[in-house]
Amino acid sequence: MDKPVIKGNTITVPSKLDHLADVDLFIEGILRGYGTDESLIADIAISVSELVNNAVSHGNQGESDKIVSVSIEKTNGSVSIAVTDEGGGFNPGEIANPVADENLLKDVGRGIFIVNSLMDTVETKKSDKGTTVVITKSLQ
Amino acid sequence: MKLSDRTQDGIVVLSPSGKIMGGPDASLLNDKLHQCIESDQKKIVVDLAGVEWMNSTGLGILISSYTTLRNNGGELKLANVTDKIHSLLVITKLVSVFEAHDSVDEAVGAFGQG
Repeated sequence: MDKPVIKGNTITVPSKLDHLADVDLFIEGILRGYGTDESLIADIAISVSELVNNAVSHGNQGESDKIVSVSIEKTNGSVSIAVTDEGGGFNPGEIANPVADENLLKDVGRGIFIVNSLMDTVETKKSDKGTTVVITKSLQ
Repeated sequence: MKLSDRTQDGIVVLSPSGKIMGGPDASLLNDKLHQCIESDQKKIVVDLAGVEWMNSTGLGILISSYTTLRNNGGELKLANVTDKIHSLLVITKLVSVFEAHDSVDEAVGAFGQG
């Protein structure tokens, strides 16, 4: 795969950070179609960008022949977004607390913390094929 | 993301705009900040008025520049922090690290008061 592919409410991109903007454009467009508040769109877009960054850099470990797919679904006043990579996932317990005094000046390690803060739920599912992180946020 | 830069009263003012989310765009700001440091321009204001949002990559660029400048006798201040970015700084407790001002003029002026 060398360019993004959109099928319904799913975008699949080559595992490169160059495609963060493609995913953002796709997700923000769908959220606007739902009539979502702009501030909420930004919170969701920030969270999706964190997950895609992690999927490319950690899940797929920078291997650009792999893919990342992002699906969005609206149910009962909430939006649910699934970000899937082809990697083995990670243990959230291994991530240092980014707001601890000793970590405050580190330039990395805040992504998942921000997602957990901005979203209502964050769930990780692992399978033989890869790892999916599903986030949900109420649109009301 | 786009980036413009100028000098005001001897202080470098960098004005990114759009979204700072990682990838090739984000390296524009990172590269420019580190170019300034390498060319001995160590007093920098980052004007965030035009930034729609940033994620942890953007925060990481700001923190990296803040610490590099501070370790080399320089300083980085923020101006025009939007509500969205302010809330991220609060969530991550970085609000206690950065000095933020309501305008570029105020941020530039604050360098003379140190």
